[in-house]
Amino acid sequence: MSDARPQDQPDEAMVDLLIKQVTEGLSPAEQRALDVLDSEVASAYSRDLERAAAAVMLAGSSTQQPLPAALAERVAQQAAAHFASPSKIGDLGAARAAAVDAARTSAASARPAPRANRSGAYGWLAAAACLVLAIFAWQRSPSPPVAPVAQQTPPPVIAPPAEKPVPPTPAEERAALLAKSDSLKIPLAATKDPAAAGVTGDVVWDPVTQRGFLHFTGLAANDPAVHQYQIWIFDAGRDKRYPVDGGVFDVPANTAEVVVPIRAELMVRKPAAFAVTVEKPGGVVVSGREHVVALGAAG
Amino acid sequence: MLQRIASGDAAAVRECIDQYGPLVWSIARRLSRTPSDAEDATQEIFLDIWRSAGRFDASQGSDKVFIAMIARRRLIDRLRKTSAEPPMDPVEALETVAWADPGTASETAIEAEQATRALAELRPEQRQVLELGLLHGLSQSEIAARLSMPLGTVKSFMRRGLIKVREYMNVDAKGVLSEG
Repeated sequence: MSDARPQDQPDEAMVDLLIKQVTEGLSPAEQRALDVLDSEVASAYSRDLERAAAAVMLAGSSTQQPLPAALAERVAQQAAAHFASPSKIGDLGAARAAAVDAARTSAASARPAPRANRSGAYGWLAAAACLVLAIFAWQRSPSPPVAPVAQQTPPPVIAPPAEKPVPPTPAEERAALLAKSDSLKIPLAATKDPAAAGVTGDVVWDPVTQRGFLHFTGLAANDPAVHQYQIWIFDAGRDKRYPVDGGVFDVPANTAEVVVPIRAELMVRKPAAFAVTVEKPGGVVVSGREHVVALGAAG
Repeated sequence: MLQRIASGDAAAVRECIDQYGPLVWSIARRLSRTPSDAEDATQEIFLDIWRSAGRFDASQGSDKVFIAMIARRRLIDRLRKTSAEPPMDPVEALETVAWADPGTASETAIEAEQATRALAELRPEQRQVLELGLLHGLSQSEIAARLSMPLGTVKSFMRRGLIKVREYMNVDAKGVLSEG
C-alpha cells in the first residue's frame, strides 16, 4: 500500500518528474504539475538526485579536454566585468540576455511557425522590464566606485594594472584595441534619419576579448529622458532578426566626438554588421528599427 | 576556493578557471550540439559559478560536485530550449566515456568514487542508460530509440540507477557504509 511510503520520500509520480527534471528538464506542463506537488521533501530529494547526477558525470569525466586559451581569456574577461562593478555587471548582462531570450520567445509565439516552448515567458518579460530599467540606471551612473572587496584582493590577472592607477579613457582603450593585430575596424555610414545628418564614425572590435568601441562625430545630442541610442551587433552565426544588444548610450549637448564602449551581452562569433538605433530610454530587447542612424558592415 | 571567489578574490577566480576549466569545457562539449554552443555554454556556466559561489556549503559536498551541478543545470536548460530542434540521430557516434576506475575516482571527488561504486552494481544496460542520459545529454526518448528499448524500460533504468547512486552517497555521507 502507498501508506507504507516513508514520509520523507516523494511519491512515484513525483520521483518520475524529479528524475526527468534532473536529467533532461521538464516541459511547462510537467513543471506546473511538479509545482503543484512540490514540497520540502521534493526539494530535498531533487537536490540529492542532482548531486547523484553530477557525481555520475564526474565519474565519467576522468579524461578532460583543456579549456581553449581564447575561451579561457573570454571567461576571465567576463569575470573581471562581473567582479569589477559593485552593481555586478555580469548579473545584469546575463539578465539582459535572458530578457532578449524572453523577448524572442514572445515574438516567436506571435508567429505562425512553432518554436520551442519556454515556461514563464510572461514572467520573464515582466522581470526583463524591471531589469532593463536597472541596467539603464547602472549605465547612467557616473564612474561607479571600485568594489571594496576588489580593493582588498591582489591583482593577478583581472585587476587593473598596478602601474596605471588612472583608468584609461574610452578613447585610449579604443586606441589600444585598434593597435591589436586581430582587431577589426569597420566604417559606419550615416543613414537618412534626421539624427544621422553629418555623422561619420567607425567601430573597432576585438573578436577575441569581445570588446569594442564606437567612434562618432556629428551624432545629434539626445535627451536621455526622451530617447537613447542603442548599439546592435549582427552576428553571422545568429538569426538576423535578433542582433546582439551592444548597450545604450547618450550623446551630450555640444559634443563633437564620442567614443562609446560596446557591451555585447552575448558572444559574437562572426560580426557581420553594427548598427545604432534610436530607442526609448533604457533601450529595448528587440528593436523595431524605425530609427537607424548608423550602419556598418564588416568586410 | 568558492568562498574566496564569493568575496571577490581575483586570484581565486583565476584558480577556478585553471582548475575547473577543463571539467566545465569537457562537460559542455559533451552536452552541446556544436562547439560554438559549447563555448557559449562554458561562459554562461562560469558566470553562474561567480554568482552562486556564495551559496557553496562544503558540508553538502565537494566544490567539484557543486560546479558539476551548476554546469549540468545550465546545459540542461540550454538543451531544453533547443528541444524544438530535430532529435539526435539514433546512430550518431558519441564520444567514448572514460569512466574512472573504482578506487581511483576519489582523486577526482569523493562523490565520483561513490558513484563509481554504485554504477559497478548496475547491469551493463542500466549503466548505458545512465551514460547516455547523464553524460551525453540524450533524452529518455532518444535513449529508447538509440538502444531500441521500450521507453518505460529506459525510465525504469534511469530511475533505479540514479536512486542507487543517491543511496550510496547518502549512506556514505552518514559514514555507515561498511563495504566497497
